[in-house]
Amino acid sequence: MVVQTPPPRTRFAALHGLAMADDRLARCATWLGLPSRRGKRDSGPTLALLDGPQGATEAAAWLPPITAWIEPTAGDDAQPSLTLLTTRAGSVDLYINVTTQTANNLHLAERILNALAARHPLPQDRREDLELALHEAISNALVHGNLEVAGMKELSAAELERFSRDLVQQMANPILSQRRLEVAVTLEATAMAVEVADEGNGFQPTPMDCHGASGRGLNLIATVADSIELQDGGRRIRMRFAL
Amino acid sequence: MDYGIEQRDQEAAVRLRGRLTFNDHAKLRALIGEMKQNKAKRQVLDLSSLEFVDSAGIGMLLIAREEMVAATKELVLRGAVGQVKRVLTVAQIGKIVTIED
Repeated sequence: MVVQTPPPRTRFAALHGLAMADDRLARCATWLGLPSRRGKRDSGPTLALLDGPQGATEAAAWLPPITAWIEPTAGDDAQPSLTLLTTRAGSVDLYINVTTQTANNLHLAERILNALAARHPLPQDRREDLELALHEAISNALVHGNLEVAGMKELSAAELERFSRDLVQQMANPILSQRRLEVAVTLEATAMAVEVADEGNGFQPTPMDCHGASGRGLNLIATVADSIELQDGGRRIRMRFAL
Repeated sequence: MDYGIEQRDQEAAVRLRGRLTFNDHAKLRALIGEMKQNKAKRQVLDLSSLEFVDSAGIGMLLIAREEMVAATKELVLRGAVGQVKRVLTVAQIGKIVTIED
């Protein structure tokens, strides 16, 4: 995915491991030059490091002072990629970069709305609508982007079966399920910008393409967002919402 | 999402609970199978306990409707509230499926 790094908005004060092994967390802390403050909740902006969805299912894992959630890669190249993602996380107000598998297990949109509502009170209806828009953008990125599963084109049980089979099969593919999903939120006084990016093959949108059982996602986002912009060949969606 | 089916004389009432999203594909396949097999001509999906639905969930409800038509049964969506009701309205599902309050 194309990663831009605008000037910093968030200066991290600490790291917080979410079910991450002590030695791995200590290594990341050294790389990033940040103290690891497990359990302490009174520190400044905190970067949470994940190792799968475990530990990120607790409500507190999505509340201040945590402002970013990154699942570092396991390989030898973990340091440069973690440094890059941390810089990117510092350029926005809320940032998530996790694998497809972890994102799907966590029901990410609901978590992000919890993090958002802790910073900006939202009426229930608006909160649900924002959650739908984020969920649609994230599930598009996961299902059609990273997992390369086609939407349900026809209204038939056979097509639902095909979708179901493809989804299970692709999620079991270790290369596809480890592809990354990125969500970046920038908060303003009365609005927010949200970017959702995947590592799939991109796509060419056909406006109002709403045949069969699929194709309503972007239209639903458009009813909630003030604007939608597709970038990077359809691998990145940038949405703007009034708050 | 979870569901429970209550069989009455002329209709089967299926209560959906929780969140209906693309991840519920296996449950929807099972549910459509059960709705096709039971004897009731009228299949009512009670959505009053459904908290959230996404575009894929709407797609799966439309697939259920097509499968009921093919089995000469009627599908009714009943009692949607909150986010579910708003999405059904925005996506104009009432033009395709019978919606009751």
